[in-house]
Amino acid sequence: MEVSLFHAALQGLLNLMQLKVFLAMLVGVSIGTFTAVAPQGMGMPLVYAILLPVVIRWEPVTGIALLIGASSVSAICAAYLPVLFGIPGGAGSQATVLDGYPMGKRGEARRALGASFMAGGMGALIGTLTLAVAIPAAKPLIYLMGSPELFVVMLWGLSMVAVLAGRRPIKGLIAAAFGLLLATVGQQAQSGVMRFVFDQPYLLDGIPISIIALALFGIPSALDLALTKLGVEQQAAPLKGSLLDGIKDTVREWWLVVRCSFVGVWIGIVPGLGSQVVDWLAYGHAAQTCKGARETFGKGDVRGVIAPESANDAKDGGDLITTLLLGFPQGVVTALFIVALLAWGFVPGPEMVKKNADLIYSIIWIQGISGIIGTLVGFVLAKQLAKLAEVRYTFMVPIIFIFVLMGAFSANRDPVDLLVVVCFGILGYFMRRFGYPRPAMILGLVLGDLMEKYLYRSMASYGFSWLTRPAVIVLLILATVSFVLTLRGRLKEAR
Amino acid sequence: MMVKAAVPYLKRHIPGEPTIVSEYMPGGGGTKAVNHIYKNVRPDGLTLGNVGGGLVTNAVLGERGVLYDLDKLIYLGSAHSHYHWVFMTKRESGLTSLEALRSASGVRIGAQAVGHSVYIVGRLFAFLMGLKEPKFVVGYSGPELDLALQNGEVDARINNADTLLKRNREWLTKGVVEVHAIMEVPKGVKHPYFARLPEVEDFAKSERERKVLAMLRTFRQVGSPYIFPPDTPREQVTILQEAMAKTFKDPGFHNEYKKLVGDEPTPLVPEEMEKAIRQLPRDREIVELFKKIAGGGPLPPR
Repeated sequence: MEVSLFHAALQGLLNLMQLKVFLAMLVGVSIGTFTAVAPQGMGMPLVYAILLPVVIRWEPVTGIALLIGASSVSAICAAYLPVLFGIPGGAGSQATVLDGYPMGKRGEARRALGASFMAGGMGALIGTLTLAVAIPAAKPLIYLMGSPELFVVMLWGLSMVAVLAGRRPIKGLIAAAFGLLLATVGQQAQSGVMRFVFDQPYLLDGIPISIIALALFGIPSALDLALTKLGVEQQAAPLKGSLLDGIKDTVREWWLVVRCSFVGVWIGIVPGLGSQVVDWLAYGHAAQTCKGARETFGKGDVRGVIAPESANDAKDGGDLITTLLLGFPQGVVTALFIVALLAWGFVPGPEMVKKNADLIYSIIWIQGISGIIGTLVGFVLAKQLAKLAEVRYTFMVPIIFIFVLMGAFSANRDPVDLLVVVCFGILGYFMRRFGYPRPAMILGLVLGDLMEKYLYRSMASYGFSWLTRPAVIVLLILATVSFVLTLRGRLKEAR
Repeated sequence: MMVKAAVPYLKRHIPGEPTIVSEYMPGGGGTKAVNHIYKNVRPDGLTLGNVGGGLVTNAVLGERGVLYDLDKLIYLGSAHSHYHWVFMTKRESGLTSLEALRSASGVRIGAQAVGHSVYIVGRLFAFLMGLKEPKFVVGYSGPELDLALQNGEVDARINNADTLLKRNREWLTKGVVEVHAIMEVPKGVKHPYFARLPEVEDFAKSERERKVLAMLRTFRQVGSPYIFPPDTPREQVTILQEAMAKTFKDPGFHNEYKKLVGDEPTPLVPEEMEKAIRQLPRDREIVELFKKIAGGGPLPPR
């Protein structure tokens, strides 16, 4: 039965009042914080990949608390590596290096970190509020979305390959096509026909996406970390200065925070952009609009830290708007989040907004509360967290391998899953080595099943006349324009 | 959830109150779990399975992947055996009477997937009610089907009677839908809300149609059976059957089941279950007819 949005928002909050849900969120925040600070190679996609097989067996709210708790803070604490080591803290925090590291080197690391936490916290809050407002605003549109419209939206989602493929669109297409092909394994729901099952009961329901994601991201990341030996050779900047100065800087620059946060939300919403550009666009905006930026940016201007960090954290709210309202991912982490939602039986998109609005509000609450906790953790444990950044790869690599294998086995306690992890782990390693984007393959895998379903339903109900529905035509135009613009941008970059 | 509701009470009613550990084994609509119980589990009475009705359906229909013999498994009963289905159309579609339904061509009936119980029941309704070239649109979840019916993407759907009342009672009170017929499982047990509807067997024209209907009723009636592997010692079987029977009578179990599953349990004791499976029509003609009705092609001629 449908519930009012106010009731849903309240119920969403009440869902969090269970001890286990709150604890899961705290564990998620801890994992996210560690991931943000730990040497490169960890990253949120790897964490999601490891957690997925475990959490999909939990109750949805508890699992969501862990996943969202982790991802929502990973950006807030992502400034340690750029400020202390001059290493980009993963996608979305790369521009922070430009001014964060010079600040660190001249003894203002704490100030830079304080500004980063505060800007990140404020950005996360603005992103979350925008997400909360977007749900009721978008709800009337949902009733217009039938299977034909949803198919076009999925098609639009598939055009994300152009983004996830980076500068290698052809390789991206090949990876996505392989993902689509893998999505066909198992019994086809529409006809009951067995496809690529080879009389193997394991393949009756298809290959579990969570296991493939775990393998594709887990094993190559661990191997890369071992081979690049990151986190041992860089000389850390001294942790000096005052966190309070950074907070004061951010509060003084509140208008810059608001502007950059909306840049972040916008980038999160618009298909085709994402983590790779959010910090640079915000940094560019700040460099163009801040007074005296031409002389001071790149030399340790705190505004050069505030701008990318606020945008990067606000982007998560924008990402979730597209993920939850339309049902297609904006990047690897949201693709994996969709995998989890599907495993719990929720189909993100209009249906979920209509029937599971309370769960969506739980996600919003978790996103907001985790952001606040993450900011506080950053302030209180700044010194201790800085030490985590020096953890050696020799410690990390075996732990990642253990978690990957345990995660795979714990999902179904099926030894065949271990074999699948090894096979797809090897495939993932070679995909990474030869530049075939793994996120594009996951996208194909996630969307393949849904696209087939919506297309089939459209044809079965309306024949070809669904192509003449006004909403379908509008969405097709939007999808085409978005795809062409994105592809053109990528090709320009490639040149 | 059904297992979760039963486990604490089952433990209480087994002498010595042993610890019961649940292990989930998804795959193949339960076939993987039954294969495991049948082939890999030691028949010492320490491991039992709880699987969906697909256990019986897949074996009788000779589906791929079935590695067990239905008649050699040992049955301990099931918590749920009553299941009433109703066939409804959206009033706005103009399909407000049986005559209108029969005269319309290409009525779009929504369902989950080919082989899903809602699909099969929907096909059987359409077959027995004599619908003209009905179109089956599949690929929906239950709530998605509700939305599709509201949006006019499908004209009709099958629904479990209790689910309809729980989820969309206002459709009935406000006259949004027209409910045309009911299928009672088990036969003869009236649903309090839909007692006046025609029973689908009223539309059957021959003995073979009644047998197909009986087959489908049994598939649903067995619910989610608890099973032991073949050759489990009689003593262990008796202990578990008695414990299961006590569990099904335990008011605490009834409360817990209602809380977790949302319905009242309607238990089926082992003897009744064995009897139902034994009496299941298995002659080739009926199985073939059932397969045609349950499959993806056009409905067979009557």
